Amino acid sequence: MEAVIVEKVTKSFDEKLVLDRISFSVERGEFLAIVGPNGSGKTTLLRVIAGVLKPDFGRVEVRGSIGVVPQENLLLPWKKIGSNIELGLKFRRVPEEERRDKVRKMASFLGIEEYLDLYPWKVSGGIARKSAIARALVLDPDILLLDEPLTGLDISSRENLTESLTKLRGKITVILVTHSMEEVFTLADRVVMLTPRPARVASVFRTGEISERDLKDFLMG
Amino acid sequence: MSAIEDLRGWAVVISLSFIGWEALSLWNPRFIPDPAGVVIYLLSTDPRELLGNMAITISNSTQGFFLGSLLGIGLICLSYFSDLLRSSIRVLNTVVQSISVLVWTIIFVMVFGVLSFIPSVLVTAMVVLPVVLSNLITSMEAVDEKLLDLTFLLGASRKDELVDVILPSSLPYLASAARVGYGLALRISVVAEAFGSSGGIGFMIVHCYNLMDPKGVFAWSLFLVVLMIFVDKLVFKPLERYAMRWKL
Repeated sequence: MEAVIVEKVTKSFDEKLVLDRISFSVERGEFLAIVGPNGSGKTTLLRVIAGVLKPDFGRVEVRGSIGVVPQENLLLPWKKIGSNIELGLKFRRVPEEERRDKVRKMASFLGIEEYLDLYPWKVSGGIARKSAIARALVLDPDILLLDEPLTGLDISSRENLTESLTKLRGKITVILVTHSMEEVFTLADRVVMLTPRPARVASVFRTGEISERDLKDFLMG
Repeated sequence: MSAIEDLRGWAVVISLSFIGWEALSLWNPRFIPDPAGVVIYLLSTDPRELLGNMAITISNSTQGFFLGSLLGIGLICLSYFSDLLRSSIRVLNTVVQSISVLVWTIIFVMVFGVLSFIPSVLVTAMVVLPVVLSNLITSMEAVDEKLLDLTFLLGASRKDELVDVILPSSLPYLASAARVGYGLALRISVVAEAFGSSGGIGFMIVHCYNLMDPKGVFAWSLFLVVLMIFVDKLVFKPLERYAMRWKL
């Protein structure tokens, strides 16, 4: 059963076409990667799926609640990591005790309990990224949208985060936007390949159906 | 800037100021007393008189500063919930900015009388208000749209956005506004005291002027300068640093 249906989604900015009749669907529990060259419109597509941007044409049907992890993390610098993670729970008026309990459990799942009392500007990029993921997951979303989760991290943080994301496989529907081969082949079940801007769906395939080299050639243009 | 560089800067400015002041006092000794004479005058003034007038000035400027700041913050909070209010507050800011301190002072002195402290407080508030408003309007425009998108996705209401994103992200701007605003408050409250008050540094400067006592005018003015520098260095600079700690 589909968790997300994207149908003929078209979006322009200042009369420049960015997304051109994009269509695909995501199965419940599936880990789908959206890949494309830099600037192809992947993040725009993710923002349309999240409901932050409205498509000019076409429709997006999301069956379930959404959690979003933006590329920049967007942690509030004036709040400690723990307070950042509980932000969505606070907005949903979840009682404080329950919030703390959920944050502790989520931090433990991602291995960041010891950083809860630190400010975001005092932790590494990897911990900040995990905190942003925790902030999304603590709301127990049906669908998780990840924008370039491993970009800008050092090797050990990448391995560590990949391991954490692998734990999500099958438990939750994940849409991952990336231009990294590593993320695609270690995490995704299926891949939607976008053309350079204006983005169109070039191909949809399972990760076992294409080699890393072919995908790399495509992305390099 | 390191502490040593900072100290060197202070040493240069103080030395040049005293040299310039000394030269001017040699050129016109009748109206410009020499720095040493002014310092001696200040040191020989009854400390109770100094502290009493300082307390009045600080009280007037602090009350005016808080009144102006709270009014500014309150208006900005209201403006977040209505586009009409937002544009009205921008216009109000422009109007208040363009009214002279002299006009405010005369109006408030006429209304509250020359012996009241209220004109000094209200004039200060009217001068601080646009400083706070301008800084907060800029800070609201500078909030990252993506941050607001994210808080929307996390389920934030408009009030949540204001409390958890807009106001905290405005803190560095507010701290800068407080620093500039309090400096202005001290400078403006003494002007208002000079027009209508029964005490304060501004009152003492005019009192000495009326007695044709240039040493007194310079001594109280020097006292005001030193007071402003101390308040800035001991209160507002650390406050600004604290508010900007995540930007450092």
